[in-house]
Amino acid sequence: MLRRYVAKRLLIAIPSLLIASLIVFTLPRLIPGDAVQLMLAEKAYAKDVAELRAKLGLDRPLYVQYVEWAGRALRGDLGESLWTRRPVLDEIAQRLPVTLTLASLALAFALLIAIPVGVISAARQDSLADFVARSAAILGLSVPGFWLATLLIVLPAIWWGWRPVGDFVEFSRDPLGYVRQIVLPAAVLGIAASAALMRLTRGMLLEVLRQDYVRTAWAKGLAERGIVLKHGLRNAIIPVVTLLGTQLPQIIGGTVVIETVFGLPGMSRFLFDAINQRDYPVIQGVNLLVVSTVVLINLAVDALYAVLDPRIRY
Amino acid sequence: MDIRRRELLALSGMALASATLAPSTTWGQTPKRGGTLSLRTWDPPHFDPFQTISYKTHIALSFTHSRLLRHRAGPGVVPGTFPIEGDLAEAWSQPNDTTYVFKLRRGVRWHNKPPVNGREVTAEDVVFSVNYFMTVKGNANAYMLRSLDKVEAPDRYTVKFTLKEPFVWFLDMLSNPHAVAIVAREVLDKFGDYKKPEAVVGTGPWMLETYRPNVGLTFVRNPNYFVAGLPYIDRIETTVDEDNASRIAAFLSGKYDLGWEFPATINRTDWVQIKDTLKQKRPRLQTLEFPAPVMSHVSMRTDQKPFSDIRVRYAMSLAIDRQAIIDSVFEGVGAMNPPVPAALREWSVPFDKLGEGAKYYAHDPAEAKRLLAAAGYPGGFPASMCFTTYGSTVLVDSMQLVQKDLKAVGIDAKIDQKEYGAYIATCFYGKFDSITYGPQTGFLEPDNFLFGQYYPGELKNQSHINDPVVADMLVRQRRTADLAKRREIIFEIQRYLAKQQYYVQMPSGVYIAVWEGALKNYGPNMGYDYGGRLMAAWLDR
Repeated sequence: MLRRYVAKRLLIAIPSLLIASLIVFTLPRLIPGDAVQLMLAEKAYAKDVAELRAKLGLDRPLYVQYVEWAGRALRGDLGESLWTRRPVLDEIAQRLPVTLTLASLALAFALLIAIPVGVISAARQDSLADFVARSAAILGLSVPGFWLATLLIVLPAIWWGWRPVGDFVEFSRDPLGYVRQIVLPAAVLGIAASAALMRLTRGMLLEVLRQDYVRTAWAKGLAERGIVLKHGLRNAIIPVVTLLGTQLPQIIGGTVVIETVFGLPGMSRFLFDAINQRDYPVIQGVNLLVVSTVVLINLAVDALYAVLDPRIRY
Repeated sequence: MDIRRRELLALSGMALASATLAPSTTWGQTPKRGGTLSLRTWDPPHFDPFQTISYKTHIALSFTHSRLLRHRAGPGVVPGTFPIEGDLAEAWSQPNDTTYVFKLRRGVRWHNKPPVNGREVTAEDVVFSVNYFMTVKGNANAYMLRSLDKVEAPDRYTVKFTLKEPFVWFLDMLSNPHAVAIVAREVLDKFGDYKKPEAVVGTGPWMLETYRPNVGLTFVRNPNYFVAGLPYIDRIETTVDEDNASRIAAFLSGKYDLGWEFPATINRTDWVQIKDTLKQKRPRLQTLEFPAPVMSHVSMRTDQKPFSDIRVRYAMSLAIDRQAIIDSVFEGVGAMNPPVPAALREWSVPFDKLGEGAKYYAHDPAEAKRLLAAAGYPGGFPASMCFTTYGSTVLVDSMQLVQKDLKAVGIDAKIDQKEYGAYIATCFYGKFDSITYGPQTGFLEPDNFLFGQYYPGELKNQSHINDPVVADMLVRQRRTADLAKRREIIFEIQRYLAKQQYYVQMPSGVYIAVWEGALKNYGPNMGYDYGGRLMAAWLDR
């Protein structure tokens, strides 16, 4: 049944991706400014605007450009960057590991903080620990990531002359150093997600802990640990997983700012530069990849429900 | 405020260069070989010097490439002056007004990298580079050698340039880091252009070892550099750092040896905030202040009403409170600019020698209103002001002050904000209907500021000026080889222009050049030539 459900969802994803690709293709062209004029101003690739426009294929009607681009994208060819003149796919492949590591670590941080704190907060409702956790969650939700990142970078330098961010180290040169340099950015990125997840974990767990079967479990004399984690958390976790599905795209979106602030040469920073340069193929390629990832994540989240709750059948 | 105070301000801006901490003195010290210098850089769009005007590329190539001539560097050179010395050329002569003959150093070798593999540099390489510079499509800097008729190699070590007409700035153009980097033909044959990092093969003091996109560049000492014993520094590590907080933290923690902003400076707004901390954390830091050559101005359609009326132009200049701009935008430290920015200290006429036109640089809104009324605009007039932000809050702030000042005398300038590329393609080249506000490139010699902006028909003649008096003087200065006489003509031009007010010049900020005390024999200056300024520097740590 699950296979059938997944297949059905994949079919539904096709029109979603088509619409998304249309938006992804059109939106960059609505940004004020013209890639050709920018190139001529900064780079002086060619004296003749029309010639350059023709060379880049930007002189044809928009729908022709779209059909050509979509056709090539289906064949795995996302075109060539207007700026670096290299295949977009190669550029993304070079930078994607950094963004994936950052997003994965951020997610791990979010979960490692949110679930235990949410559980403790619910199990000790209205205690000092609960109060502190809730206040921290509000703070985590309110503080913008870029501001927190700035403080974390500047304050240690002012106080101790220590800079928490060093020069970027590639995985191939030093695997441990590679991961180590991403820990702090990932923590900053994970904080907002962890706050939302923690609040939901606490709320859902409190609701479940008031259910009759939990009272029965208490009456049977089961240990608190078993009641909270086995009977409570497992039943409270499904909305949290749903929220996780919506937090993941936010985490990926947040990598744009975090990569820029921490100087990580990932895909999101590349996207940021591409937007500044009106590098349409790169903007389209990266966004298409992100949209496809979000569609797949949502599908994975739906499939996970059945694993977490045996009562759910597709 | 009267003009005398303005003059003092202008002079004080200049004097700052010599009044602040003295550059690290090197007398009596023996240079040390070795060490790594670390600095912040920018990610080059590519490495082809003939396909971009971007400072990001030209700064990177200043470490790896030579020119025929270069600007002398070091603590003995006063910022804002650019004495010329030989780079690949060991001697040169000028047999007549339009001929220059250069004798190349012998035994100069290309970096020992494929496809050139350290072969000797010859006159043919120079001829090839100059011809390629002049003819390759899309070289926005080709105008610098527009006066060139032909370049030849009479023998293996001699290069002869023949000009179409006398052009006394020719040597300055050849030594400018924007201009002709000497490149090898084999590299073009192999790669098709010079854009790839593998194509960075020059004859400069350092060689590009690694380029990591969006991360940084590493340069290593060229062991075969043609000046024996140089460079002293073994490695130059540059970091692409696009976040200001990260840059501040990096500098505070001692990562960077030079100020992180161009040209190895620290923005005054940041400096004010961190200078006390820096005194504790990095007590050996050296600083030197000098006016920036980047000057904004208001350009206008002087070929059309109302700007064709000189009284309107006077009114516009008198409307501007330049001191307020210095106070608000430059943290109270700035330099007043006549038509040639104060930064070019040898060529900018001091305000006390600007003559009658100096009075139009004062702030006098009442007189401005009177002049507008006399010109037939008692209630002022509407205008549209073309503008782009360049991503600079400083520029936006100054534009708003200019708009406010103009409004105060009745000139209601509505902002026509354009995206950068569109601005450069239109307003920067004079394609606008009313007025434009924006910065001008920080050139290193006065001819670009004057000829480009005031000679009829020039691309950068934004104010559409067609004044035979100034045109004649502009041509004359280009034909006057005698420096003192040329300077007097350039001063005379500025006096004349001050009385015409074809552009309304704004003040410039004052750079704060900052460098690590362990860096010896280093002297900051303007321009992209980071490599040239570090070539004879050494690290004492």
